[in-house]
Amino acid sequence: MSNGERPRRPRPMPSPTQTTKFFWDAAKQGKLALQYDPVAKVYQFWPRSISVKTGKRNLEWRTVSGHGKVYSYTITYVPTAGFEDKVPYAIGLIELDEGVRIIGNMINVKPDEVKVGMPVKVAFERMSDDISYFCFEPA
Amino acid sequence: MAKAKTKRSKAAKPAKRAAARPARKAAAKKPAKRVRAKKPAARAAKKPAQSAAKKPAARAARKALPRTNFLRDRDVCIVAYGETRVERRSGKNAYEITAEVAEQLFARTGLVPKDIDGIAFTVPQSEAPNPFWSNYASDYLGITPRWCQKTDIGGASAIGNVARAAMAIKAGLCETVMLLHADATSTQNLSRFGCYRNEFWEPVGIQGPPGAFGFLMTRYAAQYNLDYRGLGALAVAQRNGANVNPNAYEPFRKEKISIDTYINSRMVSYPLRLLDSVMPADGGNGLIVTSTANARRRGWTKRAYPIAYREITNFLGAEACPDITETGFSVVGPEALKQAGMKPKDVKMFHPYDDFLIAVMLKLEQFGFCKRGQGSQFLRDTDLSPTGRLPINTGGGQISCGQPGLAGGGLNLTEAVRQMFGEAEGRQVPKPDNAVVTGIGVIPYGRNWGTSNAMVLVR
Repeated sequence: MSNGERPRRPRPMPSPTQTTKFFWDAAKQGKLALQYDPVAKVYQFWPRSISVKTGKRNLEWRTVSGHGKVYSYTITYVPTAGFEDKVPYAIGLIELDEGVRIIGNMINVKPDEVKVGMPVKVAFERMSDDISYFCFEPA
Repeated sequence: MAKAKTKRSKAAKPAKRAAARPARKAAAKKPAKRVRAKKPAARAAKKPAQSAAKKPAARAARKALPRTNFLRDRDVCIVAYGETRVERRSGKNAYEITAEVAEQLFARTGLVPKDIDGIAFTVPQSEAPNPFWSNYASDYLGITPRWCQKTDIGGASAIGNVARAAMAIKAGLCETVMLLHADATSTQNLSRFGCYRNEFWEPVGIQGPPGAFGFLMTRYAAQYNLDYRGLGALAVAQRNGANVNPNAYEPFRKEKISIDTYINSRMVSYPLRLLDSVMPADGGNGLIVTSTANARRRGWTKRAYPIAYREITNFLGAEACPDITETGFSVVGPEALKQAGMKPKDVKMFHPYDDFLIAVMLKLEQFGFCKRGQGSQFLRDTDLSPTGRLPINTGGGQISCGQPGLAGGGLNLTEAVRQMFGEAEGRQVPKPDNAVVTGIGVIPYGRNWGTSNAMVLVR
């Protein structure tokens, strides 16, 4: 658990794995990619190498619309690494139209204007040449 | 079922110690027969000679417990507890804390290291990189276990260890098990999680467990009525316990709070406040679990018997969009009570794992103490004090004692045993005949928590 110390620390940088490389490559191009289970016919998130429905390693990557709605949210007052200048900031637990949930920062909205059920769409923040990180804004 | 239970504890108890001995031994030697007997009638016909005449009420009550319940025969019990004070950044390490707990357990039982033949641990976050904790800690203590166990279900590990120790004892692998739960999390936390954390959790800026519970509270409030003054009432009840608990983190022990103190405490991860939350700390606790036969031989008269245990991990784990306000306790809560032959109204005290107040409230609903959506109202309307209708976390729980890292689940458990031994000075529950203890372990991605478990203890 982070402990809310004030000194500036860099925002943690994701290290893609063999499984997640497709996700981050898509993100770099401003696209949200999800794994799709061709047998169970459902999407799955977070990325892993096996279907949690069938136990098969046959998941396919698909780029999706990135539209969804806020299932829940929280407003962070004790920043984690790299977020010291942003407090308070809202984080959404987003239910995508494809039927998966994903956690992301809420941007272009005041934290106290975020509501459960609010329509949102994906956006990306550039962290480095290789990594663009997904977040969400009002749709 | 509930009636039988009452009968049992009231009518059968005085006779139990003197009369039951031979019957118990006989029963313990014939587990296979008990399990295989297909019809209650067949079983009854075989057994009367043994003990029915001496202990009818107890036998009736036991019959009411499901046969699949490996704890139904009360042939395993807790005979001692130990606990250190909870400290913040103590500068100690988990070995030193483990030794402090072990010394208490040896002193209270008259045992020495060579008497311990089983040992079970939680995982200290302060020693997380050591993949051989059981060996190193056994070596540190001079114990030569014939069975050892390190349980990694977070705050669910402590009661998980009681159940695992009971299984090992019943399997004949060992007889006298020392449970040792120690952590120095606030001195150093070396945990690294891997999996999705590096890519999909930490870069988001979410406040770990407070963030996850912030989601849970927001969602609950969107689906049901959440009265924050109800959560405040729970915070106050627990703090009142910590105020008279010498092991509570000293600044908490000295500070009284009101519902307004809770409401006005600062936001950490809206709508979750500081006083919704545990404070990570250092400390430890432990138990001696042994066979009831051994407890009798040794003359350990204070005993708490686990009579029901249920556990579930990764509840709805393959569902992409579950209702996050439904937790594993909707399964294990009712199951554990059923195994124990109890209804919520029979529960004398509740010692739920309390990382955040909302978790306790959800458990009240999902065990059936109140209906879904009425948890906060229940907390406002119910006397939660040691002399009240439902005493909860009478020693302050982790929220008001401090959370001794991943030894934390043992804090609620230890208080339950202390109460049942009649040693909860200044906060003693008048009739501590039974206790329900729970554990919660691990924060998953976008749901509530990883492991939910529940244990029922009786005297």
